[in-house]
Amino acid sequence: MTAQVELALNTLEAQLNQPLETALEACARCGLCAEACHYYRAQPSVEHIPAFRAEQLRSVYRYERDFLSRLFPFWTGAKKLDEKTLLHLTEIAFSQCTLCRRCTINCPLGVDTPLLMRAVRAMTTAAGTAPEILVMLADAAIEKGADPSFFKELFLEQIREIEEQLRNITGDPNATIPVEKQGARVLYVPLAGVHTILPPAIVFNAAKEDWTLSIFEAANYGVFLGDVNRAKQVAKRIVDEANRLGVQEIVIAECGHAYASYRWDVPNWFPGQFHFKVRSMIEVLADYLREGRIQVDPNFITEPVTYHDSCNLARNSGLIEEPRFVLKHIVKDFREMTPNKAEALCCGGGGGLVALAEYTERRIQAGRPKAEQIQKTGARLVVAACENCRLQIGDLNERYGLNVHITALTDLVVRAMRLPKPLPGTEAEHLFEGQKEMVELDPPAH
Amino acid sequence: MLIFQLIALLGFLAGLYGLYLRYAETRRRPLPPDRSPLKGNPTHGIVYAFTAGMMPWAKESTRLHGIAYLRGIGFHLGIFAALGAFLLSPFWGALPALLSWTLSGVIALGAILGAAGGVLRLVEHNLRGLSLPDDHFAVWLVSAWLALSAIALHGPGWLPAYYLLSAVTLAYIPLGKIRHCLYFFFSRIFFGRFFGRRGVFPHPKTTQ
Amino acid sequence: MEVKLSLDFKGLLCPLPVVKLAQTIKQVEIGELVEAVATDPGVMADIPAWTRSTGNELVTLEKRDDKTFRFVVKRLK
Repeated sequence: MTAQVELALNTLEAQLNQPLETALEACARCGLCAEACHYYRAQPSVEHIPAFRAEQLRSVYRYERDFLSRLFPFWTGAKKLDEKTLLHLTEIAFSQCTLCRRCTINCPLGVDTPLLMRAVRAMTTAAGTAPEILVMLADAAIEKGADPSFFKELFLEQIREIEEQLRNITGDPNATIPVEKQGARVLYVPLAGVHTILPPAIVFNAAKEDWTLSIFEAANYGVFLGDVNRAKQVAKRIVDEANRLGVQEIVIAECGHAYASYRWDVPNWFPGQFHFKVRSMIEVLADYLREGRIQVDPNFITEPVTYHDSCNLARNSGLIEEPRFVLKHIVKDFREMTPNKAEALCCGGGGGLVALAEYTERRIQAGRPKAEQIQKTGARLVVAACENCRLQIGDLNERYGLNVHITALTDLVVRAMRLPKPLPGTEAEHLFEGQKEMVELDPPAH
Repeated sequence: MLIFQLIALLGFLAGLYGLYLRYAETRRRPLPPDRSPLKGNPTHGIVYAFTAGMMPWAKESTRLHGIAYLRGIGFHLGIFAALGAFLLSPFWGALPALLSWTLSGVIALGAILGAAGGVLRLVEHNLRGLSLPDDHFAVWLVSAWLALSAIALHGPGWLPAYYLLSAVTLAYIPLGKIRHCLYFFFSRIFFGRFFGRRGVFPHPKTTQ
Repeated sequence: MEVKLSLDFKGLLCPLPVVKLAQTIKQVEIGELVEAVATDPGVMADIPAWTRSTGNELVTLEKRDDKTFRFVVKRLK
């Protein structure tokens, strides 16, 4: 057995807990999960059935752990892990599954196939066969946390420039983007780019929130790798920052995997150190509207609008009604995709796929069912509360000629706030009634 | 007849013990803690997972494949009935005719539906691609056991064969794919806990 | 020292400049230089972090008057 294979098997063994062993054992191979998967819908073949993909790990697991399989491997399809199989597993886990859990909710037994794919991702990361770029991005994020001094000054300089834009747009000379504000109530964690800093900053200022901006970004490539150690180190930057500033709440930018990990996983990784409430920006918007802390124009947009449920936000985090509540305040003609909410189709951009250039074609092919779904609504504007979803839908828009505009929920709310100057930056300006005056947007920052 | 009954009993106990070993092995594994604040209710999620969540309309997959769903339900009802009949087998002679015929009817239907599943595994492209020798063997073994159970209920001459096949079938449960009968419970509990605590299921307006 | 490869990352949002740099740096030999121009200010943090974590060398990183960012990286790994 090579060291690589041994590392992979040790990682599988180390991960074996009750839910993982259950997912390895429970499948009856009934095939009912087939149409649940967007890969299968786009390209119906046995290889794209979630149970078949999961079987590639099960065969290895059985060979190692199952009595009958050790005696008669052919009987249960058991297979000794070798380097070739390891590469095959890597490809399956990183390019044929977005960890969306649509197969799980459609399985009569509720088998958590994404849990298996996550286990494979961890195995292959340990063995060194995982996509290099995801490892690099995770390591670079960890490096930023280890010594923020090498970028902090430049970051603060950028924020001051964005603050100028904020004042220009809101007409409020006192509007601020606080950074490292001790004792602030809310720590807002953006993504890379001014587009996830400026619109929330407008909202926080309008709502008179006691907030501060994180110097780090919410994205966590360790999560995509299934590598809990790396994911913890990336998350630790935010946890430490939140503890240092003494905030009560962490608000995550519109990002599916970041929200799901900070909301559900990170509290488990830092017992005794995680005392914060975690909310997504979409929950914040819903609450501000409910509490009357921000005012929006209910007739803001009359063009047909649809909402894409991010798998991490809806199916995996229950953020189902919140975005719809927000949209009801600003959209006259809202159209649901079918299916939607917990049953929504994955767009194909999750699981870190949008960062993996080598799988671009496969990703866009797998997004075809989502493209067709969007097309059927007749909507001109697609709202998505996840950066990866927006990037993917943007690619689908181009490839399949959808002729739609894609926007984040916060951007739309900010536009509906009818500020002295509109939020600039998208091609969809003509859809928004009464927004004539434009200001130039600087290139995305952070 | 006693010797056949003893063999069947041994098969039953071996199956039960094997399942217990599987259960104990899985329970020995860690259960990851969940310290994140609740959005929904994990208990409600678990109840949903075993009740409304099992209904054919609860999932797109079963809405699309209603026949397959009914076939599966019928097959498994047949299995439960056959297990009950097996435990009652020393007293079959004393069973009221109505109960005896109802049991054999349910079991026979299960056998037919099981065999249909076996045929599908051979002819349907996806199922054939997914199936392992273990899957083919398991579905035919159980279907044959159901058929023999239904026959033996009214044909005492078949009892030796019935008891021998019962021994093989029941002893095989923990060894091959049939042990999903145990993991079904683990899986649905974890499913309910996961989606329940996250406020996804049960949800009055989860889909439109 | 001569720049071996010049890249245009204008319009790319982070982390794509890092992704593209990591992919294309393999086209030059160890010890050679790659230059890139980007518009996303995120590169000011991400490129130094990437060179630190991968053991490559950041030769220069500057913000220019036209609001672009130019950096030069020496491949060491």
